Amino acid sequence: MLLGFLIAFGFILSGAVGAVAYFMPAIVTAFQDTGHAINRITPGATASPTSSASPSASTAATQPPGVAPPGAPFTVLLLGSDNDAKFGGTVLTQSMILARVNPTTRQVVMESIPRDLWVPLATGGSAKIDAAYLHGGASAAVATVEENFHIHIDHYAWIGLLGLVNLINQVGGIDVVATNPVMDDYYPADLSGTNPYAYERVAVLPGPQHMNGIQALMYVRSRHGDLRSDFGRSQRQQQVLLALRAKAKLLGIADLPDIATAMANDFSTDMSIGEIASLLPIASSVQLQNVHQVILASPYTSNLQIDNQDALAPDWNLILPLTHRYFPAA
Amino acid sequence: MRRAISIVALLALMAAFGFGVNRLIASRKTNIHRETSSYVPTATRPAVILPGTLYLAQGGQLYSMSDGFFTSLHSSTSAGTWMQPAYVPGTQNVVAVLRSAEYSNLYLLNSQGKVIRQLSNNAVVASKVTQVWLNHWMFWPHFGPTGTLYFAYDQPKNSSTYAVDFSIWSGSLSGTLAKQQLTTANPFTGGDVDPTPMANGDVMFSRYAIANGNAFSFIALVAKPLVQPVILSTGTQDCGQPAPSPDGTMVAMVCIGGTGLQSTRLEEAPLVGTKLGTPRTLVTNCLCSAPVWAPDGSGLVYYNATDAAGHFELWWIKGALTAAPAAPLQVTTNLNFDATSPPSWSPLTSIPVMTR
Repeated sequence: MLLGFLIAFGFILSGAVGAVAYFMPAIVTAFQDTGHAINRITPGATASPTSSASPSASTAATQPPGVAPPGAPFTVLLLGSDNDAKFGGTVLTQSMILARVNPTTRQVVMESIPRDLWVPLATGGSAKIDAAYLHGGASAAVATVEENFHIHIDHYAWIGLLGLVNLINQVGGIDVVATNPVMDDYYPADLSGTNPYAYERVAVLPGPQHMNGIQALMYVRSRHGDLRSDFGRSQRQQQVLLALRAKAKLLGIADLPDIATAMANDFSTDMSIGEIASLLPIASSVQLQNVHQVILASPYTSNLQIDNQDALAPDWNLILPLTHRYFPAA
Repeated sequence: MRRAISIVALLALMAAFGFGVNRLIASRKTNIHRETSSYVPTATRPAVILPGTLYLAQGGQLYSMSDGFFTSLHSSTSAGTWMQPAYVPGTQNVVAVLRSAEYSNLYLLNSQGKVIRQLSNNAVVASKVTQVWLNHWMFWPHFGPTGTLYFAYDQPKNSSTYAVDFSIWSGSLSGTLAKQQLTTANPFTGGDVDPTPMANGDVMFSRYAIANGNAFSFIALVAKPLVQPVILSTGTQDCGQPAPSPDGTMVAMVCIGGTGLQSTRLEEAPLVGTKLGTPRTLVTNCLCSAPVWAPDGSGLVYYNATDAAGHFELWWIKGALTAAPAAPLQVTTNLNFDATSPPSWSPLTSIPVMTR
C-alpha cells in the first residue's frame, strides 16, 4: 500500500517537475515583471518636472483603491517607452493608451493620450505627460493620468522597444494595412549602432503587408514625415495593437514560456500572470467592430509653445466629456 | 540486486514520465510559422496555369511564373532586397528595385537575373554617409506602352522641413532616368505612388491626403506634367493601388475598410473618360493588395493573406471584366509574396531556362 503510494507520488512529482521546467521562463517572468503594485502618488509631491529625482523619492504609497472584480469592466494604461541612451538610461513614454475592456460585452475602447500633452504631473510641476514616467515610473504615469483625466486606472502594462520587437517576432509577425507611406529621414537609430544621436531612414510602403518586429516598430514610432505628427503615430500604434490582438487569438498557455522569454526585462505590469492569462480568451473573443478608437487631435488639443518646447494644450472642457463617455469618472 | 535494478528502472520510468509531460505541453504550442520560415516558389507549382509570364518578389528575391512553373532569377541579395519587378515591353528583361537600408535603386536585369545596368544612384557619397537624409528612395517602376519608364521618387525634398514624400517621375532606359516630374505630392502624407501608365499616355496613380486626423488614398489621373491631376475616387472610398484593365474600361483597386483599418476590399469600377463609375466589390474583408490584370484582360491576380502566419498568396479572378466573374481561385500555397511588390505581367512566355 505504502509502496504503491510512493510510486504514484514519484510519478506525480516527476510530472510536476517536467511541467515546472517547461514553464520556468514564464514563472521567472511572473516573479520579475508582473504583479508590480502601483504606488499611488500623493498629489503635489515634491519633485520638479525637470529634476531627475528617483521614483522612490517622488512617490508615496497610499491605500490602493479597489481593483475591478473579475468579470467587471476594467481600465488599463498601456505604456510604451523608448530605451533612449540620450536620456542617460531614463525613459519617456512614447506611447500612452488608455484601454477600457468590458469582458461581458466584449467591447474595448482605446484612447491615445498625446505624449506632448502639457499637464500638471503627479510628481509636481507641469511638463509634457511623457515625463511622468521619467520622474516617477509607472506609478507616476498612472497617477498623472488619473488626476488629469479624472478617471480610475485598474492596471498598467509597460513595454520597451525591444520587448515589442521580440513579442511581434515571437508571434511570427503581424499583418497591418499601412494607411499611407510612412516616411522619415530622422528616425532614431538607437536599436542599432552605438551612437544614440544617429538617424536612420524609414520608408514603410502603403497597403496590406506582413511586418516583423523591427518593421512594426518603425511603423508605430516614426512621426517626422506625418502631417499628424504624434497623432498619426498614435493611430498606427492602435492599429498594431489590434494586429497583435489578432495573433493573440492563436496563442495558448503553452506559448507563455516563449513569450515570456522574448519580453524578459522589457515588460512590467501590476497584473498577475493569472490575470494576464485570463485576458487571452477576452482578446480572442473581441470583434473588431466592438473596438472603439479615440485620438485626441484638434479640437481636443492645440499647439502650444512653452519653456522653449513644442507641446499640446489640452481643452479639458472637450476631453473630459469625451473620456468619461467611455471611462467612468473617478 | 534485483531490488536495486527495480528501483533504478522505476526512477528511469519516472524521469521519462516527467520528460514526457514536458514534451506533451510543448506539443500544445501554437503552430505559428516563425519569421524565419522559408518557402521557395520553385519548390511548388501554381494551381492554375496563367497566360504569359508573371514576375513576382518573395523574401528579397525575384521569380518568374510561366507555363505553370516558377523560376528563380537568382539575383544577388548581398546588397539588399529585390522587389517590384517590371517587365520591359517586348523583351525578357525586367527593371526591379534593389532596396537597401537607407536607399533604393532601379536596375535592369536580364531573364536570368543578371544585372545589365544600374539605372540610378540614390546612395549618398561615402564622405557623407552619416547624413542619411541625403539618400533617396525609388519604387514602383512601370513601363508605358511607348517604353517610357514611370516610378515614384522622393524628390524634390525640402531640406528645411522633415517632409519626405513620393512624387511620380518619368524617364527612359536609354536617356535620363528621372527626366520629368509628373506630380507634386501633398506634403507630409507620403505622397504619390503606384504609377500605372495607360494606353492613351495618361498615368493613373495613388495619391495620399490627410484630413481630420486621418490618412486617405485617392485614385488620381494625370495627363500632363505638373498639372493638377483628376481625382477619380473619394476619400470615403479610401482606394489606392489602381490597375486599369488593358482595354482601359475598368479599374481594379484596393480600398481600405473595416474597424481599426485592419482589412481591405478588392473593387473594380468602370472608367468612362475621366470618371469612375459605381464600384463592384470582388473580395471583401480581406488583406487584398496589388491587383494586376492579365495582358489579354481575361482576369486579374492579386495578393491576399490566407493563413494565420500572414503569408500573402497569389489569387486569380477569371472573367473580372465580365458581368459574372468567377469566384477567386488561390493560385499558390505555402508561399509568402511581398505584398508591397505588385506582380508584373508580361504577355510573353518565358524563354525556358536551365533551373526550374
